[in-house]
Amino acid sequence: MRYTVLAALLLASGGAWANMAAQAQRSHVAGIDLITDRTTVKDVVVIVGVLPAGDAMADPANIAIPTLTGMMLDRGTESLDKFAISAQLENVGAEITFSVATQSLEVRAKCLKKDLALVLGLIASELRKPALAPEEFDKAKQQFIGALQGSLQNTESRAEEAFGRAIFPEGHPNRPHPVADFLSAANIATLDEVKAFHAKYYGPAHMTLVLVGDVPVAEAQAEVAKDFAGWSGGQDYIRPAQPAAPHGPREVPVVLNDKPSVSVILGQPTGLRYRDPGALALRVGTAVLGRGFTGRLMGSVRDKEGLTYNISAGLAEDSIADGSWDISASFAPELLNKGVAATRRELDKWWRDGVTDTELTEHKQGIIGSYLVSLSTTGGVAGAIVTALQRGYDLNWLDQYPDAVNALTRDEVNTAIKTHIDPKAMVLVEAGSVAAAGH
Amino acid sequence: MRSKVRISTAFASCLMAAAAISSIQPSVAGVTVPGFSYVKSSGGIDEYRLDSNGLTVLLAPDHSAPVVTFQVTYQVGSRNEVTGTTGATHILEHLMFKGSEGYNDPKGNSVKQFLERVGGQFNANTSNDRTTYFATVGRENLEGYIAIEADRMRNLWLHEADRQSEMTVVRNEYERGKNDPDNVLLEEVTAAAYVALPYHHPVIGWKSDIEHVPIAKLHDFYDTFYWPNNATVSIVGDIDPAAALALVKKYYGVYPHSPQPIPGMYTEEPAQTGARRVTIKRPGELGTVVIAHKVPNGRDSDQPALEMLDAILSSGKNARLYRALVDKGIALNAGSGTDLRRDLSLHTAYATLAPGATHMQAEKALLAEIDRIKTSGVTAAEVARVKQQFIAADAYKRDGTAGVAGELNEWIAVGDWTLYVTFPQKVEQVTPADVQRVAKKYFEEDQSTTGWFVPVPQAGKGS
Repeated sequence: MRYTVLAALLLASGGAWANMAAQAQRSHVAGIDLITDRTTVKDVVVIVGVLPAGDAMADPANIAIPTLTGMMLDRGTESLDKFAISAQLENVGAEITFSVATQSLEVRAKCLKKDLALVLGLIASELRKPALAPEEFDKAKQQFIGALQGSLQNTESRAEEAFGRAIFPEGHPNRPHPVADFLSAANIATLDEVKAFHAKYYGPAHMTLVLVGDVPVAEAQAEVAKDFAGWSGGQDYIRPAQPAAPHGPREVPVVLNDKPSVSVILGQPTGLRYRDPGALALRVGTAVLGRGFTGRLMGSVRDKEGLTYNISAGLAEDSIADGSWDISASFAPELLNKGVAATRRELDKWWRDGVTDTELTEHKQGIIGSYLVSLSTTGGVAGAIVTALQRGYDLNWLDQYPDAVNALTRDEVNTAIKTHIDPKAMVLVEAGSVAAAGH
Repeated sequence: MRSKVRISTAFASCLMAAAAISSIQPSVAGVTVPGFSYVKSSGGIDEYRLDSNGLTVLLAPDHSAPVVTFQVTYQVGSRNEVTGTTGATHILEHLMFKGSEGYNDPKGNSVKQFLERVGGQFNANTSNDRTTYFATVGRENLEGYIAIEADRMRNLWLHEADRQSEMTVVRNEYERGKNDPDNVLLEEVTAAAYVALPYHHPVIGWKSDIEHVPIAKLHDFYDTFYWPNNATVSIVGDIDPAAALALVKKYYGVYPHSPQPIPGMYTEEPAQTGARRVTIKRPGELGTVVIAHKVPNGRDSDQPALEMLDAILSSGKNARLYRALVDKGIALNAGSGTDLRRDLSLHTAYATLAPGATHMQAEKALLAEIDRIKTSGVTAAEVARVKQQFIAADAYKRDGTAGVAGELNEWIAVGDWTLYVTFPQKVEQVTPADVQRVAKKYFEEDQSTTGWFVPVPQAGKGS
């Protein structure tokens, strides 16, 4: 039965999803790493672009500048104000959004095939020639400050911030800045700092642009060449020379009043990037502990003991720099101690005894099947391409990934768990009304 | 299960904004399969009825990828609950993952074991008007999922031990929702807006009911509503229609029609005779204003004009609320939308206050924009812009089977799945005069319920 399921999955991957690398075209256009992938969807094109201009690139003098720069992109260009840009998009039902992540400025867009030239042209103008007008800068600052204030009450984001700061050392790109520091920085940020950041970091040198869907490939390449012609500059991603290492157990409470549910993170740095030896084995082994509803944590802490609505385990932030491993969950304040104890019990057992052959086989099947189902939408394909390239693979990885997962042995997985995870050196963050639980 | 209670969408405007003409291959009159009656087709979706038990089946073939989304929608939601059983629909949804006679954890073939083994993307959720179970799987796994889904329609395990352990799971889901003051505000505004209709109580229920509803009541609920004649199966994706119907018949055809008629909900909402107000004070940072009005059911002919009105108010930087509130520094974000329901729907306009702005400022600005439509109408250019967005949304729907099924699901809940196809067409017929007319008709002050979330400072801030 199990063999049949896996065989069916791989058969499927050998059918409509096969040869993704051959189907996609990769070219260097106007200095940009351009990937076009024509799929069976009619009329729709999804665009995803990334370039290294994230929060990690901030000058310590003002950490708010990367985000504020990203926020200025859709607020007018040298030739169009923000209302004119928005009108052009709204009149054809197209969308362009920018967001700033740890290391990247990301652009995502969706349009009809007939409007691809318009949308690419707008993306190019917004990236290359934002107006950076003073009155819009003041509005962006106000909105950023408001959003930061809102996040102060979010138990999940506060827990993530505390966890990241506890496990990543000063200078590591994955070490988040505190919200309070962002607030202070946003208040004193200047437009000159934004202009300087834009001039230094925005450029084609390390930019990836992915177009998936009903893409007219030659026309799209020509349009990118035209729209981005003459653009230069750009910086590489930050790859720390020394990976972060666990430095002993630690408990970090984040007290927020009147929160009926406590957000909990228990974890450590891995010192691993996605491509490093053992990283994929650790990922698959972690799936046995905390993936979906059949992972051990959900099976015991939720299904059997009823202690939480949600608990999962995974690896994060490891595409470019070495990342983290964590279990995240939520517990009512009165069940917090019991919930954390049950979580540690499952963690210790998983670390001590490893995974079984049956568990490994089933989770490998599930991971591969889920990957293949995710490729049934243009957004899924675009995301897979961008992620693979950020992790340092070429497009062949998209086809090789199922085989790489399937080839992992139980010994490799259990060795990776023992080698890279240390339950006795983990950081425990609890964010919410933790005082009510006696913490 | 990791269900998402689809509590009102007031903060996510334009619930149906993406609705448009189906992209699925057109069908003329369906296929002939013994045991099924062909009912009708619209926009490439064919409706059939399983003759033996009244199960409704919607088929939407789409061969762009070798995947299928299978979904079953039960016409039971929080609208079918009363005092003491609020949240029962949602708890039952959770218990639907605890195993059935043929498919359960001890056998190693439970719904979650099967779907995670094959990499299915799956979940379930409960709303005011329906309960839905769904998965997207490779086409070769369709039969396996149908078999499990059909078994738990009538052969569910409903054990007290499972209720006890799942009760605390649901309670934590409830608690997580209470972490967000905006969710709490919306619940209280909704509770104030509806006095008699069961939309008064939240989909997830009141905490005391979640904790104490007896297993016998859940049994009653299951035996009342989980029958084929109260369900609609939707299959979207890489299917052969005749083969798909044969699978449905194989697994659902073993059940009879419900022994008793499915009970209706006959309560009517009394007329509102004056403006209502709600205030929430909790620790927080940013204030919120919500202004709600009851509007007709989701099938009503005025809904397309209301949809147009909301797009003009909320969609993009040229939307009126963006220009009047966000760009003026009064709000961080602002929008409006209708949570379409089988009975009276709820329209909300909202604003999250920008630092330094006052609640009264935001409320006045929201009302001023609504009044401007009532007194001066909207422009032909605004209407034309929204129509173009609907045309594009039509194409976007071709991208993935789960999105089609999910949207179809909401129209099934409202009571007419063909609105999935015809609603966007009706929006394209809306005129500026229609928009002004519905604004005048529904947005009267005496019919409003206004809510403020007023943040109070933290007593003591931690690290």
